[in-house]
Amino acid sequence: MQLLTERNIAILAVGAFGIFSVGVFCTTVLPRFVDRELMDPKPNMRPYTEQEARGRKVYLAEGCVYCHTQQIRHLKSDQKRYGWRLVDAPPSKGWEYAYDNPHFIGTKRTGPDLGRVGGKYSSEWHWSHFKNPRDLGEKFRNLPESKMQQASIMPSYAYLSDEQIKDLTAYIQTLGRNVNWRKDKDGQLLNDYEE
Amino acid sequence: MNVTKLKENRAAYLFLTTGCVCLLIGMGMGLFVALKFLFPLLGEYPLFSFGRIRQAHTNLVMFAFLLQVDIGIMLYIIPRLLHTKLFSEKLGVATWAVYNVAVGAGVIRILMGINQGIEYAEIAPPFNYMIVLAWVMLLVNIMATILRRTVRSFYVSVWYVVGALLWTAVVYITGSILTQYTTGLNQANLSWFYVHNAVGLVFTPCGLAAAYYLIPKVLNTPIYSHKLSLIGFWVIAFTYCWTGAHHMIHGPNSYWLETVAILFSWSLIIPVMAVVTNFLGTYATAPRATRFKTAESKLLFTGTIYYLLTCLQGPFQAIRTVNTVVSKTDWVVAHAHMALLGAFGLIAMAGAYYIIPRIVKRPLYSPRLANIHFWMTFVGLLTFMFPMYVSGPMQGLAWLNIERTFLEILAEQRWVWMIRMHSGALILLAQTLFFYNLWETLYGKSYFMKPIEEKVA
Ligand code: HEC
Repeated sequence: MQLLTERNIAILAVGAFGIFSVGVFCTTVLPRFVDRELMDPKPNMRPYTEQEARGRKVYLAEGCVYCHTQQIRHLKSDQKRYGWRLVDAPPSKGWEYAYDNPHFIGTKRTGPDLGRVGGKYSSEWHWSHFKNPRDLGEKFRNLPESKMQQASIMPSYAYLSDEQIKDLTAYIQTLGRNVNWRKDKDGQLLNDYEE
Repeated sequence: MNVTKLKENRAAYLFLTTGCVCLLIGMGMGLFVALKFLFPLLGEYPLFSFGRIRQAHTNLVMFAFLLQVDIGIMLYIIPRLLHTKLFSEKLGVATWAVYNVAVGAGVIRILMGINQGIEYAEIAPPFNYMIVLAWVMLLVNIMATILRRTVRSFYVSVWYVVGALLWTAVVYITGSILTQYTTGLNQANLSWFYVHNAVGLVFTPCGLAAAYYLIPKVLNTPIYSHKLSLIGFWVIAFTYCWTGAHHMIHGPNSYWLETVAILFSWSLIIPVMAVVTNFLGTYATAPRATRFKTAESKLLFTGTIYYLLTCLQGPFQAIRTVNTVVSKTDWVVAHAHMALLGAFGLIAMAGAYYIIPRIVKRPLYSPRLANIHFWMTFVGLLTFMFPMYVSGPMQGLAWLNIERTFLEILAEQRWVWMIRMHSGALILLAQTLFFYNLWETLYGKSYFMKPIEEKVA
């Protein structure tokens, strides 16, 4: 048995390319039209400020995405683990990434997910954490002092300039805040960006 | 060295040897990454920060080693399968130069902090455009070679090479260039299309083209079944590219796209089983005495088995419940190494062992050393991957239990990173033997040995 594709280069090439392009179309072009609702920014979203955009550049250059994902998956464990004071974190929605280029959704969790980390810690905490992750300070106040405080394997970013760390922190503080989800103990919504 | 003799396969020779040098550099970077997991303070310079060397590692092993050696194999086997000469050696050498400048400069810029942020497509303009240029040059060269063939029909390897040339062009341009004009979830769809198909429609067809040529040659036995070859090729061409979205199951993507990706992941079992049955059938019909004699035959056999295992893992990982546990853990790291090093890396090494001596017309310096290289790589790979296949699910299950802090779970992973670092070092050591063997073949004592006869394909 010998097919025409085994003798004619044009038919082989067009055939191999043709049936491949069906899948290409359906998984890269089609979703853009079918899932428009999911992908387009919501009206109350704001694009990144200049400082936050600079912070994103640092995040990009340092490859933080290879250790941190930015997606609360539709799993109870994700929502609880990355929640805040007993409030579950809402799962990440497609439109929340609308202004992200490149996106930092990520595939590997060597460190915790950062999808909703914005507002959870003070900017001062981030500052000292970036300078030296081996000293987690009060984040883990009730952990056994010695060992766990030293356990982080995040690189230290002390080599970044103070400006860069400020920009990066400004960006980190925006993460997940397109949904106003953190509540204080009286049930009041907290979406105050720190200045 | 006799230059006139080298003339004919100059381009293939350059691609193959440069690829083998880059293997050492790329794996060295990998070992550095593994060390950073244990000693995060090691090499605390911006150039060597974890996020940067991790990208340098993946780009070097994928583009500077694997794709480079695959191109070399392609340039060698295509003229032989079609009983003609390569269309233009000059164009081939120019392709080699453009490609290596692009990848080299791209990786250096990654270390300097300039990257595109799309996994596996980090190399930033203008160098990614240069890679596309090199690819087009290769495509022209191979297509022109096919047009001046002196035999009528194509062998399986030729189908895969033609497929690889066309698919890679689309896959790479989508991942590296089109992503830059999109944002957010839309971009994520493109980038995971790319990540998945960089393996599935770049390295798979290149590796299978090589294996379809090498296995019958090395075993001196015709390929087991023509029908299986056909099924394997055409089903891969249709099904592989649908599965990108299985990289973010439970994530922000739409449910229908996830489901499509999962279903097509399962359909991949068809072509994979066809190909693997075909290869193993060839092994089974080969003369018993020579079946596993040479390092090449062992490398190809192990590559086939890992190809099977990695492609069975894929669909299982894509089941929603399984994905809940293993996704985002160290399991994924083991899976990636099984596909790229275990399957296609080993096949590429077999290609280098088989082809380089034939190009320079001198026997391999030491077949025994090649065997030692194989066994060390084999043991290294086992002890590299399997601890992570244990620790990955453990990590994943621990994450499901929200009583346990992230940091506790992290600290428990140390033992597996320790094993991984040592196995990685063993693999790297094995590759230095590989390198030494090839070096001696090219420049060493065996220069004075009797030249080997090349059988015509
Ligand atoms: C080697 C992998 C690695 C890299 C690279 C890395 N991190 Fe981390 N990161 C971790 C680990 C592990 C933790 C958990 C321990 C800790 O808090 O330090 C962490 C914790 C964090 C936290 C605290 C999250 C929380 O909810 O507790 C933030 C914020 C963070 N990283 C930001 C970054 C940023 C920004 C970058 C890039 C500049 C980065 N990380 C790079 C591994 C990494």
